Amino acid sequence: MEIRDNSLSNIAKIRWYNLIDPVTKLLVALFLTMLSFVFTNLYFEVSLVLISFVLLLLSRLSSATINAVYFCLFLIVTMILIQGLFYSGNVHPLFSIMNITFYREGALYAVTMSARILIIIFAIGFFMSTTTISENAKYLEAIGLPYKLVYLLMSVCYILPQIQQNMKKIQFAERARGINPQKTVAQKVRSILPILIPLIIKTFDQSINRSITLQLRGFDSPERTLATPKYHYVRARFNHYLLSFLTIFLIGCKLWQIFSRFL
Amino acid sequence: MKENGIENKGNRFNMWKIHLSVATVTLIPAAVGINYVAKAFAEGLKLPLWLGSLGTYLASMLAGPTAGAISGFINNIIYGLTLSPVSTVYSITSIAIGIVVGVLFNRGWFSNAKRVFVSAILIALTSAIISTPLNVIFWGGQTGIPWGDALFATMIGNHINIWIASFTDEFVLDILDKVVVAYIAFFIYRQLPQRMINYFKDNQ
Repeated sequence: MEIRDNSLSNIAKIRWYNLIDPVTKLLVALFLTMLSFVFTNLYFEVSLVLISFVLLLLSRLSSATINAVYFCLFLIVTMILIQGLFYSGNVHPLFSIMNITFYREGALYAVTMSARILIIIFAIGFFMSTTTISENAKYLEAIGLPYKLVYLLMSVCYILPQIQQNMKKIQFAERARGINPQKTVAQKVRSILPILIPLIIKTFDQSINRSITLQLRGFDSPERTLATPKYHYVRARFNHYLLSFLTIFLIGCKLWQIFSRFL
Repeated sequence: MKENGIENKGNRFNMWKIHLSVATVTLIPAAVGINYVAKAFAEGLKLPLWLGSLGTYLASMLAGPTAGAISGFINNIIYGLTLSPVSTVYSITSIAIGIVVGVLFNRGWFSNAKRVFVSAILIALTSAIISTPLNVIFWGGQTGIPWGDALFATMIGNHINIWIASFTDEFVLDILDKVVVAYIAFFIYRQLPQRMINYFKDNQ
């Protein structure tokens, strides 16, 4: 019987997206978003959706991205409905059902905006599924972001499960005491307080303890040893400059498009 | 001293201090966590509210507008990176909410129930004014809450300007949410142990 140590081979494997640094990934998301704002042609928007989706498929399609799409789906559907029916520029009917006319212009406007939303979701999804919290923290500190800000951003990801766990415990305890879910909105709002007050006091108490621990460990010390980033990134600085320049150029183009309407 | 209402006028902490003390650095993630959990809680109870700014309110009340603004900003960044990427742009609204709550609290506008109501209206106005352009740019003016969007659709159907329709949609939702959150924050702040309030104020 052959026994394979898959865990070791997985750890050692470096994929193509590991060679791109987190900031470049975020700048790519920003660049694609700005492209979709400047060029509003529907075919161009659809091709951007496809590009960002392929980027995501080539890396890893995580459940978080699927959830984000699902989360926005309701809004996208209602947006197409409302704009298709009531958009101020509606002229050409697309189809009619029982005297209700759905217009082409409104539908196109809503589809263009939906495409933009999907581009943002897929591009951010690419960043989320290909980076880890510790990788981001190390890299952000290495490129000069103040360590306090890095701690702020990253500690939320670790504290959140702790708060959720505390909430479950308190909810369970309240239920055990006989506090049941209420029916009216006012009753529901009032029922929140017995859970939120102990939860918030406990959370703030834990943050006081954390603050004392950090002070004792010399968190404010000016002499800090920087953690080494996990991967060696390819042309990180060049990518930052190039993408920043292109994004600023696109922002300029968009501003020009807006202001030229008033000239 | 804290008796019936909240006495906060004349606090010695510098309201606009940008320097982050260790206490503030640990308070902000806790506030973001509270925002996140309160929002999930409201969704779980199917309330017509978000409650997603409760932590921001408390951070502003405990450590000033800068702490509130940072917690609002980080809250939207984390929410955007985990659940809804478009939420990231609404971080501008959260920053404004943090600042307005901090300033109003510092000027004594959270000292009794009547004043809290006035503060909540001002906060809701700020939130609606900043969110409306974002709603128009990203969602064609909608907010994503069915009954608010039904109102928006009715107004658009009656040829009312998209900006007015979107502002009304946002404001009617915000007024309810911000009033409830302001009262919950006011009530919770009164329940906090004095040593906790002093710890965050003294460590500014």
